[in-house]
Amino acid sequence: MSDTITTESSAAPAAKPKRPKAKSMIMIGEQTQALFENARLAKERGEKVGWSASIFPQEIAETLGLVVLYPENHSAGIAARHQADPFLQECEGSLGYSNDLCAYAKVNLTYSSVLAGQSEVELPDGGKMVRPDFLLLTNNICNQLTKWYENLAKQLNIPIFFIDTCYNPYDYVTETRVRYVRAQIDQLIKDLCEFTGKTWDDEKFQKIMKISQRNSYLWEHANNLMDRKPSPLSGFELFNYMSCMVCNRGKESTTALLEQLNAEIEQHIAEGTSTYPVEEQFRVSWDGIACWPYLRHNLHTLKEYGINMVASSYGKAWAIEYEDLDGMARAYCFASTNGDNASTMISRRLEALKRFGCEGTIYHVNRSCKVMDCQMMEVQRQLSALAGVPFMSFDGDQADYRNYSEAQFETRIQGLVEVMKQNKEAKANG
Amino acid sequence: MYTFGIDIGSTSSKAAILRDGKDLIAHAVVPLGTGTVGPSQVRAAVFEQSGLSQKQIDYTVVTGYGRMKCDYADEQISELSCHAKGIHYLLPGIHTIIDIGGQDAKALKISDTGMLLAFQMNDKCAAGTGRFLDVMSRVLNVQIGELGPISEKSTHPVSISNTCTVFAESEVISQLSNDVPLADIVAGIHDSVAKRVAGMAMRIGCVPDVAMSGGVALNIGVVHSMEREMGCPVQVHPLCQCAGAIGAAVLAWGKYIKGAIKANE
Amino acid sequence: MADLHTNLSLLETACMNPRAQLDNYLKQGKKVVGCFPAYTPEELVYASGMIPMGLWGGHTELKLAKSYLPAFACPIMQSDLEFGLQGAYEGLSAVIIPTLCDTLRCMTQNWRFGVPSIPMIPIVYPQNRKSPASVEYLISEYEHVLVMLSTITGQMMTEKALCDAIDVYNAHNAAMREFADLANDHLDVITPKVRHAVMKSAFFFAKDEHTAIVQELIDGLKQLPAYKFTGKKVILTGITGEPDEMLEIFAENNIAVVGDDLAQEMRQYRTDTPEKGGGGLRRLALQWNLRHGCSLIHEDGKPRGVMLVRLCGENDASGVVNCLMKFCDPEEYDQPYFESDLRAAGYPTLTIEVDTQNTSYEQIRTRVQAFCEML
Repeated sequence: MSDTITTESSAAPAAKPKRPKAKSMIMIGEQTQALFENARLAKERGEKVGWSASIFPQEIAETLGLVVLYPENHSAGIAARHQADPFLQECEGSLGYSNDLCAYAKVNLTYSSVLAGQSEVELPDGGKMVRPDFLLLTNNICNQLTKWYENLAKQLNIPIFFIDTCYNPYDYVTETRVRYVRAQIDQLIKDLCEFTGKTWDDEKFQKIMKISQRNSYLWEHANNLMDRKPSPLSGFELFNYMSCMVCNRGKESTTALLEQLNAEIEQHIAEGTSTYPVEEQFRVSWDGIACWPYLRHNLHTLKEYGINMVASSYGKAWAIEYEDLDGMARAYCFASTNGDNASTMISRRLEALKRFGCEGTIYHVNRSCKVMDCQMMEVQRQLSALAGVPFMSFDGDQADYRNYSEAQFETRIQGLVEVMKQNKEAKANG
Repeated sequence: MYTFGIDIGSTSSKAAILRDGKDLIAHAVVPLGTGTVGPSQVRAAVFEQSGLSQKQIDYTVVTGYGRMKCDYADEQISELSCHAKGIHYLLPGIHTIIDIGGQDAKALKISDTGMLLAFQMNDKCAAGTGRFLDVMSRVLNVQIGELGPISEKSTHPVSISNTCTVFAESEVISQLSNDVPLADIVAGIHDSVAKRVAGMAMRIGCVPDVAMSGGVALNIGVVHSMEREMGCPVQVHPLCQCAGAIGAAVLAWGKYIKGAIKANE
Repeated sequence: MADLHTNLSLLETACMNPRAQLDNYLKQGKKVVGCFPAYTPEELVYASGMIPMGLWGGHTELKLAKSYLPAFACPIMQSDLEFGLQGAYEGLSAVIIPTLCDTLRCMTQNWRFGVPSIPMIPIVYPQNRKSPASVEYLISEYEHVLVMLSTITGQMMTEKALCDAIDVYNAHNAAMREFADLANDHLDVITPKVRHAVMKSAFFFAKDEHTAIVQELIDGLKQLPAYKFTGKKVILTGITGEPDEMLEIFAENNIAVVGDDLAQEMRQYRTDTPEKGGGGLRRLALQWNLRHGCSLIHEDGKPRGVMLVRLCGENDASGVVNCLMKFCDPEEYDQPYFESDLRAAGYPTLTIEVDTQNTSYEQIRTRVQAFCEML
């Protein structure tokens, strides 16, 4: 993902001067480029490179000095740049997969098939998502990841290093889970060292932990600055920075860029400016990942009504605090919001709604994501009642551009605005 | 020796009579399907053309949606097998058949002798079928038959991305209201159908030569879109609508011969 | 002969009216615990003196479930939730829900809030079976289930009762396997519909009762001469191979089912709990590690295709029917791999979408007929 996933990727016919690119955005672009470049160089040196699930304990690969790339993030980039079509066609065509599957997986399974020499689809990035030698998998995010990676392993004939993080039906992570996950982590480190020839350095791990914790703190801090009224950023921009937390969470380059981002936001706050292009009329929370193929349309529609997304479920996604491997085991069980039970999901969201002063929630019914969609209706109902805040949902997809209707989105946003307006007026009139 | 094949579809009935399993001496299409007078009309038509009556027919095979309710047929065979044989008769050398009908779409892989090797069907979703084109032609206020010629004038086909017909309809309306040229919209609609169907065809593998059949094959725009999607030429035989009935008659001949050999043993 | 058909009729009736079975047990003063697909520790329920009953969905109009599940959740979950919300499961003391797929994960929460009158007991099976720690973890999950069961119902279990339960379940597995084998010599009596009824009915009886019935079936069949079936033989694979209308279409086309890899059928019976290895809970946990070739249980190497090829060979089948549960993503990931393995071994596959909400079977009829013509 070497380009930013914003509206700036499409041709702009307007004559008005464009805002100069923020330094933090330049830094993240450079960081992404560096990641892919490192992967290429590592392959040239004959080193083993991995593909990893987005919420796998990156501390492990980082401590071992392994270069690891992230298929979910990569697929999101392809989708955002409107390059997904040939991958989807091939996946549902010659590769024989069902249309029902997660679109990140669909795109990536085709990409991997090309790398394996079994499909012929032009790779718009020239193959920089290099062929992996191993896979790092956790299932805290969902079960589809497990099946997806099973298939990748078979296709590319490579091993999977797996940490089963277990779903949490309770409001806390049981000690039995922590023990199981810890045992898996210990074994995985041994196995990965054997496979890659790397050695575990406990001192380095301590250092990486500190960097990761610092980055988690900075990320949460940046997200939290959105609680100012009006918000200093157009909320969607935070989606652009997610890649540093997904792909480079344990790196100092992330610390630098997040510090820069925080500084930029603080400056906006100090100067009373914002990157949100119009007057902020309504503050909303966005539930679900971005609808990458239609970010431009989403933004444009929201801007029309002065709606700014000030909160999302991703602000605290990497609020991973721990001091040792046991703590890390527990943290990763709890890390992904998808691995939580409904009450935890509700309480996390309630906190966000209150803190950021949200007047409504936009819930993206992401066709690719059953693990969210199959429980979200109840969660939104309860949340709406508890927070006294209306919500609206729309059909979309994180990467499959065929699952969206502009007309539907526009109509529903308009409906939400009407309710939010009513509520605002009622409040003003006491 | 005469064999009779009749294809009783949901919206049309087709019939064919073969002499000695090779000469097509009669064929007819009636745009009325199962449960109407269509089947009896089309039967009467081929008997009149050939000057024959049911008594002179040595073997009858019925196929299509309404094949279960045909009391004068000797056997009923699935429309997939009949279609495969029929296209093979009309276009020898074909190995992949794409049949886009009013309600469904099929991809058939056939052998050198016209035997069915594999098939893939979309029988649930309107996208990628004639139904999709029906809906769109209404929205655009053009006749179904005009879609093909209109699309040939397109210079910049639009992209209709939605797989859901209802959402796609709204996309088309939006394009219309933005004054996008009609030809470009129609071409986009054709591309959408072709994409969907090509994807299905690729699941069984596309072995040349490729032919299209079914009502939608008469739409030159869709045929050209399919050629672009599949990356190979696509043939359409003028009698392709009768492929099912012809194939039924061919299979009937095969069954008759087999039966005759058995009787002689 | 009368015994054979009486027994078959008994099993078919149970499948058509599981509610009557439930009421029967309730009338006897027994407690019944509902068990969601595909794997639950039924032995724990049985050992606690209660009856486990499978909840595999059914044909029903979806109304209340639409407030919890989007259209793209599988029909089993949709109908189970609908039944729960409508009160059709009243009488169950609890339900056990295993989080084997994303939709099942969500079902624990939907049920928790939607059907609070029937307490929900979740169980999260380990997917990293290579890790020895997974056994300890699974034992703790079992213990959690037991605590919840005893708190909810007041029924507790002893070690002896558990070991007896394991024996009962292993004996049941053996009887089902024997039946499946024997059925292939009597395909005139054991039609696809009948075979399915024998398999599925196991979920509506106390296992020892079902074993007794199946044993009588086996004895009855053994008295009949072997039947030479001349039609086409297939293996079914998938989550469930139903409903009866689809199975009747097989019979119409002279197709017999000679083996299966269905979650509702042989996947339940092909793996025994080991007789050694520790106490009952530990042995039960070890059984989990022995399960093989199921889309819902993580395994390296996509071995299902090889397994299906072997099944075809062993049972003299000429093809496989993939009963693909609508919207079942774990099965959808496996599909291209096992289809490819089967194709390479010369076995064609037919895919039929399984949807309990379906009302028209014409398209299935066409596909099955065409497939038969191809075999």
